[in-house]
Amino acid sequence: MPSLPAASHPIDGSSASRGQLLAERTLPPEHLLCLEVGEKLVATCRFDLDADLNFTDGWIVLTDRRLVADTPASFDGDSRSLQTAPSPKQTHSWLLAASTRVDVHMRAAVGRIELASGDGIVASWLFTPARAKEVLALEDAFDERIRGERIHNALATRVAKATNARDQSQAIESAALTDGSKNSNDDETLDAISSPESTSGASWRSLVRILTFAKPHAGMAILGGLLSLVSTAVTLVPPYLTMPLVDKVLIPRQSGEAVPFSMIWWYLAGLTGAALAAWLLSWAQAWTLAWVSERVAADLRVRTYSHMQSLSIDFFSGKRTGDLMSRVGSDTDRINTFLSVNLIDFSSNVLLVLLTAGVLIWINPLLALVTLAPFPLVVWLVYSVRSRLRRGFIRANVAWSDMTSTLADTIPGIRVVKAFAQESREIDRFRTANDRVLEANDRVNIVWSFFGPLISLFSEAGLLVVWGAGAWLVFSGTVTVGALTAFLAYIARFYGRIESMIRMVPATQRAAASAHRIFELLDCKPTVAESPRPINPGRVQGRIELSGVHFRYGSREVLHGIDLVIEPGEMIGLVGTSGSGKTTLANLICRFYDPSSGTITVDGKDVRDLSISGYRKNLGCVLQEPFLFFGTVTENIAYGQPQASREQIVAAARAAGAHEFILAMPAAYDSRVGERGGSLSGGERQRLSIARALLVDPSILVLDEATSSVDAETEVVIQAAVDRLVTGRTTIAIAHRLSTLRRANRLVVLDAGTIIETGTHDQLLAAEGAYFRLYHAQTRAALEAATGA
Amino acid sequence: MKSSDTIPPARTPTEWQLEQLRHGHLDLIDRHGQRHSNVDVVRAFPISVPAGPIAIVAADGTELAWIDSLALLDAPLQSLLLKELAVREFLPVIKRIETVSDSEPTEWLVSTDRGLRRFTVAHTDDILRLPDSSAVITDSFGVRYLIPSVDVLDARSRRLFETSL
Ligand SMILES: Nc1ncnc2c1ncn2[C@@H]1O[C@H](COP(=O)(O)OP(=O)(O)O)[C@@H](O)[C@H]1O
Ligand SMILES: [Mg+2]
Repeated sequence: MPSLPAASHPIDGSSASRGQLLAERTLPPEHLLCLEVGEKLVATCRFDLDADLNFTDGWIVLTDRRLVADTPASFDGDSRSLQTAPSPKQTHSWLLAASTRVDVHMRAAVGRIELASGDGIVASWLFTPARAKEVLALEDAFDERIRGERIHNALATRVAKATNARDQSQAIESAALTDGSKNSNDDETLDAISSPESTSGASWRSLVRILTFAKPHAGMAILGGLLSLVSTAVTLVPPYLTMPLVDKVLIPRQSGEAVPFSMIWWYLAGLTGAALAAWLLSWAQAWTLAWVSERVAADLRVRTYSHMQSLSIDFFSGKRTGDLMSRVGSDTDRINTFLSVNLIDFSSNVLLVLLTAGVLIWINPLLALVTLAPFPLVVWLVYSVRSRLRRGFIRANVAWSDMTSTLADTIPGIRVVKAFAQESREIDRFRTANDRVLEANDRVNIVWSFFGPLISLFSEAGLLVVWGAGAWLVFSGTVTVGALTAFLAYIARFYGRIESMIRMVPATQRAAASAHRIFELLDCKPTVAESPRPINPGRVQGRIELSGVHFRYGSREVLHGIDLVIEPGEMIGLVGTSGSGKTTLANLICRFYDPSSGTITVDGKDVRDLSISGYRKNLGCVLQEPFLFFGTVTENIAYGQPQASREQIVAAARAAGAHEFILAMPAAYDSRVGERGGSLSGGERQRLSIARALLVDPSILVLDEATSSVDAETEVVIQAAVDRLVTGRTTIAIAHRLSTLRRANRLVVLDAGTIIETGTHDQLLAAEGAYFRLYHAQTRAALEAATGA
Repeated sequence: MKSSDTIPPARTPTEWQLEQLRHGHLDLIDRHGQRHSNVDVVRAFPISVPAGPIAIVAADGTELAWIDSLALLDAPLQSLLLKELAVREFLPVIKRIETVSDSEPTEWLVSTDRGLRRFTVAHTDDILRLPDSSAVITDSFGVRYLIPSVDVLDARSRRLFETSL
């Protein structure tokens, strides 16, 4: 390998490319000094590991003539150092020849850049993923220089195309998912707006029902109630003490009587004691009730979630995920807030208002009567504003849930949004929903901003009335100054409490609505119900018999009288055009739904009499939309069999053709796949879900388009594995590619919900019926594709 | 380019040979005598069972060999594989945390057993605390850093670590 002479000159200052590149990245000066006159900088990158994997900071500089770099991790010693000054770093330089190559190998956490010439590698550098981008850019720049731009561009577009095709198919899949679940909620929303009265009636009942959840914590709840009673009563003591303080101490003193100052100490001590007691009691009360309500909310959450898990598939296909999540999450939280904060406030306010009224009447009935005179007016006002508030509030609630649903829709569908470049439309959609929230809240606020000060006006007016009437009564001698002072103190509290009670109206409504939503869910019954006396089937033989099976989604019948007997160990291929009911039939066999009429028996027993989980333990399902959970590859494969050994997991992955791509993942079997397996391709997800189904060693295997996202070559590999696994199991396989079903003992051709043909591949071809046409349409398409390419 | 040492596996009934070449290349010669150059050594369960099975994979991802446990192999082959794995499983150990910025994404400056390093952590989810009080931090480029035990860090580092969670 030829190397450059050590003598070098400062780079020509007028070089255009140099100025341009320097603007992008600042180079360490020692490298710049090495460049010759007229030598052009092509690319630079940094590497960050040395031969011993210690962090370092080094440069690789590619010019149009040579590669200059700091100490490599390994090199063949014939390159000459350019470094003149003593430094820990050594700079090396290689002249580029036609045969020179730069290769980059990426492995888990460490990448390697290799410089190779005709007779092998001459040097290599190590880097972490932090430098990957610039290293690959340098490799690209090198390839471009060597190979010329045209070849490079062609390659880049080819890669881009392949990536796009993959994303597109995923995008369409998720588009179908989002669209399907969308409509139902709109109906729900409309219902909520059109019948606010009936909702509220039910809501109050729901709110009372929530209290039944406090039963297990009754002791603490009662303690909390008592504490709040006592603490409310204690807050009434201080104004009561001011009465004798004024009448027996201050006024006599002012009018010249000799009152001992020690009396004042007594009253002050009493006032302090009352304040301290009120503080302690309300602290204990708040803590106790918060403790209870936190547990009520936690129970509610678990109850709601476990109930949701028990519901059948059809419940979920009609709901928006965002809506269900908010029921388990924020609705229970609102109830928690209501119970721990609002309910306490409300009950203590009611108590206080009643007690205050009592005390006032006891002190002086006449003055009390005058004081409380505006109260009925306030009650009427509250009543009239309540219905306005409730309507406004329901609207605000609906607007809010609309807004969150927009989020819940578009975030999982982000690929579709981006694929169709609809970001700005989604932003607009969100903005519109957000504006509706704003508008609804504005309406509530208009009512509030008017109503709140009105209440203040009333309390001011009440004070005025008390001052006026009180002064008159003091003049006429029926009331003492002390009593009047006490009255004024009480009345301020009285109206304060009334005001905060009114503020609670919307909070109560909000909690009631939440409770209603939770009970709506809790009252749903699973449509695929466990039989009252379920039979545990143990391990089934796998003889499946369908007789006269009809099935409806809502009012639309999609299966019209299916009769089919599948013998143990037989492999049935379900064939038919898209929408002919293949998936539906598979779902019935998995018992995700029950037939509208007709029966399905397994080993002669009606599946409805079998224990649901006992029966499903016999099933291995690979569904059309492979779903993976957020977790490691191992956890996902072992989902149905958490106690499986690692050897079993690896064996299942091998059988499903997933082993090698798993090994290529950053942490192999311990790698995390994102939410819904987002970080994997459709085919990879399918292979993982095949592995998951194989691991449970099912006696009935249901494969619904299990290999549809896998390329033909991989499918052959998986097919071989599946073929081996199919033996000895009853298998229902649905496949788009008819060639996949070659091994099936019998093919069942469905058309628009009825079986139109059954037989082996050869029989059906000989019959020249629907299968014959399907088969030939596919082979012709395949042939055309082959000749066209 | 000449091979520096050829190690015939002895104790396991392996039908292949590994050959270590210069520049960190590892070649595998299978039982048909075919040479697969620049193979990769992969732990199947690097986090849950680090001592568990190991696969040798060709450059194109094809599995060439499967070793149930390193312990079954001869010492020289074992050390060769371990050396290869060390490169693959580059995992700097954090000795001290110098600074952590306040807002997400957090900027970290740490002293590791491989020198000083500055990196960015995108989200607190990337800081994984394990039950044995160790922690693994993954930076925005996917480089992982190990804290073998949070409890034995100095007080300042520990405080910085805790507040970053
Ligand atoms: N959850 C559902 N609600 C209402 N209709 C459905 C539902 N799922 C499927 N369908 C309809 O039932 C028919 C049969 O669907 P399916 O069994 O999925 O067909 P395929 O043979 O393509 O698997 C289709 O017309 C489809 O639109
Ligand atoms: Mg289908």
